[in-house]
Amino acid sequence: MFQYTQFAFSHRRKVVTVRIRRQEITAAYLFLAPFLITLLIFFVYATVRAVIFSFSNYNLFNLDPNYSGEDPFRWVGLLNYLNLFKEELFLIALRNSIIFAFIVTSVQTFGALVMAAALNTKIRGLDFFRAAYYMPSITSSVVITLIFMWMYQRRGVFNYLSTQLLSYLPLIAVFFAILLIAQLLQVFIERRRGLPAGWFDPALFVVSFLLALAGTWLLNISGVIVPREIVPVDFIWLQTRQEVPAAFPTFLRAAVPLIAIMIQNIFTTIPTFMLMFLAALQDVPKSQYEAASLDGASPVQQFFYITIPAVQPVTFLVITLGLIGTLQMFDQVAIFGSAVPLRSVITLAFFVYNRMFPGAQTPEVGFAAAAAIFLAALTLLVVLIQRRFIRSEAQ
Amino acid sequence: MKKLAISILVLAFVTAALAQTTVRIMGYGGEDPRIVARLLDEVIGDDLAEQGITVQYEPLEGDYNAALTNALSAGTAADLFYIPAETAPGIIASGKVLPLDDLVDSGPFITSLVDTYTIDNQLYGIAKDFNTLAIHYNKDLFDEAAVEYPNENDDWDSFANKLRGVAALDDDVYGACFPAEFARFGAFAFAAGWQPFDAAGNTDLLDERFVEAFSYYTDLVKEGVAVQPSDLGEGWTGGCFATDNVGVAIEGAWILGFLRDAAPNLQFGTTFMPIGPSGERGNFLYTVAWGINADTANRDAAVAVLKALTSTDTQQFVLENGLAIPSRTALADNPFFAEGTVESEANRIVFEGAASGNVIGFQFGKVGTDWMAPINNALTAVMTGQQDVNAALSAAQNEIDALIERANR
Repeated sequence: MFQYTQFAFSHRRKVVTVRIRRQEITAAYLFLAPFLITLLIFFVYATVRAVIFSFSNYNLFNLDPNYSGEDPFRWVGLLNYLNLFKEELFLIALRNSIIFAFIVTSVQTFGALVMAAALNTKIRGLDFFRAAYYMPSITSSVVITLIFMWMYQRRGVFNYLSTQLLSYLPLIAVFFAILLIAQLLQVFIERRRGLPAGWFDPALFVVSFLLALAGTWLLNISGVIVPREIVPVDFIWLQTRQEVPAAFPTFLRAAVPLIAIMIQNIFTTIPTFMLMFLAALQDVPKSQYEAASLDGASPVQQFFYITIPAVQPVTFLVITLGLIGTLQMFDQVAIFGSAVPLRSVITLAFFVYNRMFPGAQTPEVGFAAAAAIFLAALTLLVVLIQRRFIRSEAQ
Repeated sequence: MKKLAISILVLAFVTAALAQTTVRIMGYGGEDPRIVARLLDEVIGDDLAEQGITVQYEPLEGDYNAALTNALSAGTAADLFYIPAETAPGIIASGKVLPLDDLVDSGPFITSLVDTYTIDNQLYGIAKDFNTLAIHYNKDLFDEAAVEYPNENDDWDSFANKLRGVAALDDDVYGACFPAEFARFGAFAFAAGWQPFDAAGNTDLLDERFVEAFSYYTDLVKEGVAVQPSDLGEGWTGGCFATDNVGVAIEGAWILGFLRDAAPNLQFGTTFMPIGPSGERGNFLYTVAWGINADTANRDAAVAVLKALTSTDTQQFVLENGLAIPSRTALADNPFFAEGTVESEANRIVFEGAASGNVIGFQFGKVGTDWMAPINNALTAVMTGQQDVNAALSAAQNEIDALIERANR
């Protein structure tokens, strides 16, 4: 009897535990449901359809039973995928995407880390700099693109500044020459006196700076050194098919307009990644830097031997996100649109759109879907390769 | 008795409500919703209401072609929609546009416009209006330079010389604004007697007539007589002209509304395109038509709305408001054209431009608007001095051959 009761009791407890567990699982699924449903409809369903269409010649209209056009629906097997590689524009898009992803990801990761390290120090007005540097990332990509397009004009800001720089080059050169000489002289004199003066001693630097400023000004008003009369710089950023570096084989070159978009993209993405690095840097113990500086490590050495290894997991995240983002580059290319030659800037994502809504032709959904699937596979592959080179754990 | 009256009244209301058909129409965003709303309010709304038809305008903002294609495929397209000439072949090839031959009489409309929407001998759209290019010149600049205004007797040489005269005024002043776009330059190629497609559907950019026009257009820019809008920081010729530093703009009647707002004090006149080496002028015919959705549930109502939207009254309204040029031949003798104001004169010239010389529709067969890209790139490359004419055109020829071959595949 006793045994029976105990059995019944433990059985009931089991039932209760199971019930609680079941409730917990249900609750979990309920909380997940909003996301799961959107994921199912807009991602899984859409992907499955895209995969299916990529094996057909679907054109948005030929599944209609009343369709009487010249291209009735049929399955074409792998033909769309094979045709991708016969299409010159696709190969150009592939090259552009890979070059874009490689260069932009490298530069933005490094730039973000350097900026984060700079903003992790205690300087006056830190909050202002953090906010100011973050501005490009919260500004609409469309607005930024329009501003950049204006600056890239033949008579835009970039060419104007280059012209000014070249024109004032003699004065700038003289300024730096005086600065260098003054600084060297001062350090030399100080050391002769037996005082420990570094090459970048701030107090001496201020004196050198003022000396250089005064010297340059005197030389300028006395007419010895004057700005040069030069032909205004007329570098064509956008309306060009020029590819650089000219010495490289075609598949390694980047068109100038694509480089223009790279510069803009780096400018807008650095701050986002900077924020991630900044968060990671806050966790690096100050004691490590203090120990290193006691051992005589320079700030540059500290950056390479302490900072970089410490933020390794975030670097992995930043590079992964960067690669995915850049391989799927679409919006900025689309907004540059007709201001640049299509072949110079077309990326894989834009190629998909371009085939989906070509000028006045029927959409090539099957072909575009094949290109989209290829892009997804490529992104996955690149991220997998990247994982082999950069580990996601801290060293 | 009273009860009977009430029941009759109620019955009448119910039938009226039932008979009320809503016809949805789709067109561009931007200014168009306001114009269509006024049109419905002031001109055709009452007539349609008597027939029990309510019209609802649904603007498609952004890329019209992409949005309409999606809507047609998804079955959400309106009963009536705009069909721009340049994307018409693609939209019609979808099989979603109703042939109009037995429903609408195309007789009163300008033949070339009807032809633009006739594919395989079937009519798919009624042009709502159209535009051509004309020379708009800045009177003050021509006066200041003491150069005779451009006129309808100008040929390419006299036209270029007048532009040189204006450009000589100052370093910042240019004779004309020439964008690197086939959509404007093409008129010169047509004036040289060049045709975009031969009988086999191929394009020859190395044809000497094309090369002559191409050189004429790009040389003026290289010489510094003409300027690209982007070099003045402007997006199009209209903006360029409104700076008051440019003698001539080659645009359609759409520039009038823009100048009214952007440069109200600019004194300008309008004349015909110059006569090219073929002895004829060249011009584009830009147009947008109303087409009916083949799957519409309200075919009769849709036809009624289409007729109202292309009626004489509508076109008179559109013309008088300086919006566009009517597509009905009967409006050629419209008193509005003879009013003698700058704008009515410009409208008359744009209207008559459609019948003067080699006028070719702004349409590129199956290739669509992509067809223009190689030519635009070549224009840019030559205008900015990156390539010479032969190299640029050879490259463009290869690209355009590839595009045509692909479209025919």
